[in-house]
Amino acid sequence: MSAETQTTRRIRVFRYKRGDDEHRYDEFDVPVSERSTALDALRWIQLRQDPTLALRHSCFHASCGTCGVRVNGREGLGCVTALSDVSGDTVTIEPLANLPVLNDVVSDVTPFMERFPEPHPYIRKSEFISEADTPDDVDAYGRFEDCIECGICLSACPVAATDDTYFGPAALAYAQRMLEEARGADREALLDWADSEHGAWRCHASFECTEACPSDVRPAQRIMLLRKELGNRKKEVSS
Amino acid sequence: MAARTTDATTSAPAGRSRTWVWTAGTGVALLALVTIHMVAHHFVVERMGGLRTYEDVLDYVANPVMFVIECVFLVVVTIHSMLGLRSVLFDFGLSDRAKRLTDRGLIALGVLTVAYGFLLIGVLASRA
Amino acid sequence: MSVRRGADPGTEGIRSARDDVGPIPRKNVGPVAWFDIRKRGLGQFAFSLNRLTGLGLVFYLYLHLAVLSTLFRGQEAWDDFLGIATTKAFLLLDVLLVFGLLAHGLNGLRLALIGSGRGIDHQKALYRSCQVIGTILLLGAALHILGGD
Repeated sequence: MSAETQTTRRIRVFRYKRGDDEHRYDEFDVPVSERSTALDALRWIQLRQDPTLALRHSCFHASCGTCGVRVNGREGLGCVTALSDVSGDTVTIEPLANLPVLNDVVSDVTPFMERFPEPHPYIRKSEFISEADTPDDVDAYGRFEDCIECGICLSACPVAATDDTYFGPAALAYAQRMLEEARGADREALLDWADSEHGAWRCHASFECTEACPSDVRPAQRIMLLRKELGNRKKEVSS
Repeated sequence: MAARTTDATTSAPAGRSRTWVWTAGTGVALLALVTIHMVAHHFVVERMGGLRTYEDVLDYVANPVMFVIECVFLVVVTIHSMLGLRSVLFDFGLSDRAKRLTDRGLIALGVLTVAYGFLLIGVLASRA
Repeated sequence: MSVRRGADPGTEGIRSARDDVGPIPRKNVGPVAWFDIRKRGLGQFAFSLNRLTGLGLVFYLYLHLAVLSTLFRGQEAWDDFLGIATTKAFLLLDVLLVFGLLAHGLNGLRLALIGSGRGIDHQKALYRSCQVIGTILLLGAALHILGGD
């Protein structure tokens, strides 16, 4: 088995600690291989160079959504952003845009979560495989929705860049998804929530959220479908 | 399920989608109106750029059909412009008070624009 | 994981559960974000151009009304203006106007379609079509305006 080729990349990392007046950037020379990811680099820095570097991650395979960062200005999940795909002598890693920074490259996702309409179930029961037998100790299968709530779409959105009151792609996509499979949810309340200057009508169809989404949620498309629902509702009311 | 309620100062649901519908509707109407306007003022008269002389303009405005079309064009383009400006300004995340002031300001600007345009075309029509 | 609920983005804006969080990183300063197409997709380019041409056309609307006010002063004043308006440099501005109208109008048609839920999955193809149609029309208009026939 041949060893992977190792090179050194200059990694420039956004640094901010609570109490700092402003952020700064620190640079590190990190040994990387062809398969190294942005998260690998950050972990190497934390383990070998600077233990004060704060980062957040969990699953390492793009399903938890906790390692969202910007790499050379583009949003992505750190665990699957290959450094070999990032050009330039220096790789800059920054926290997601449009969300407050907690610590270094860790964003505070609370304002992201608060944009969702209430309640916001993380797991919903699936009806599609009702015929399937569950193991004895499992009442029913749960199914995760596509959205991993990484906040990447909000970071990419040009409207969220200037309007912090915009509900954002994830929350609106979630609402549209709920309309597709309401399962007892109050459709009219959801539509009222979405039918807002801060909601579906604030989107300008740049589709950057869809471009950036690592989980194929296609939030922009869902927002357009939400608008269609709102338009149909208006027709029903007026007819 | 209870969705988060919107604040009392925002407009009714029908009003919000109506804004988009009017923006899109006036935009689609403008595809035809702008085409007519541009063809009439750049592609009909045989001169450099198709531009009309003073007499050509008066002749044009004297035509009742074109007079009406230009008036409709003025109103539609003003509505579309004001709605577009509103959308841009609202993207700054304005406070509710600022939004109300913006709405009033844009309505006033739109009314003044249409009024001035009607004055202009009316004076020209009277000279024809 | 517990998440605080109850904030209304409509009135409160972005907030955090903690009081001592740091700055909010932005990719650009304010509205520059609307026009930054670096490393962005076709949709962002469409949005940026639409906004730029829209603002440009609003400016043109008032410029046009101001120019047309020359007509109030009668034939001589208008003919003086025509002397400037028929120069090549000025006619190039007319071509720029046509570009703005086509870019904004054709993309606006695309937005009207996808905004009402039609052709959503083909938004890139729709935009490419707008670009092709717009280019053909612009070339034709430019040839006519600058060619003088």
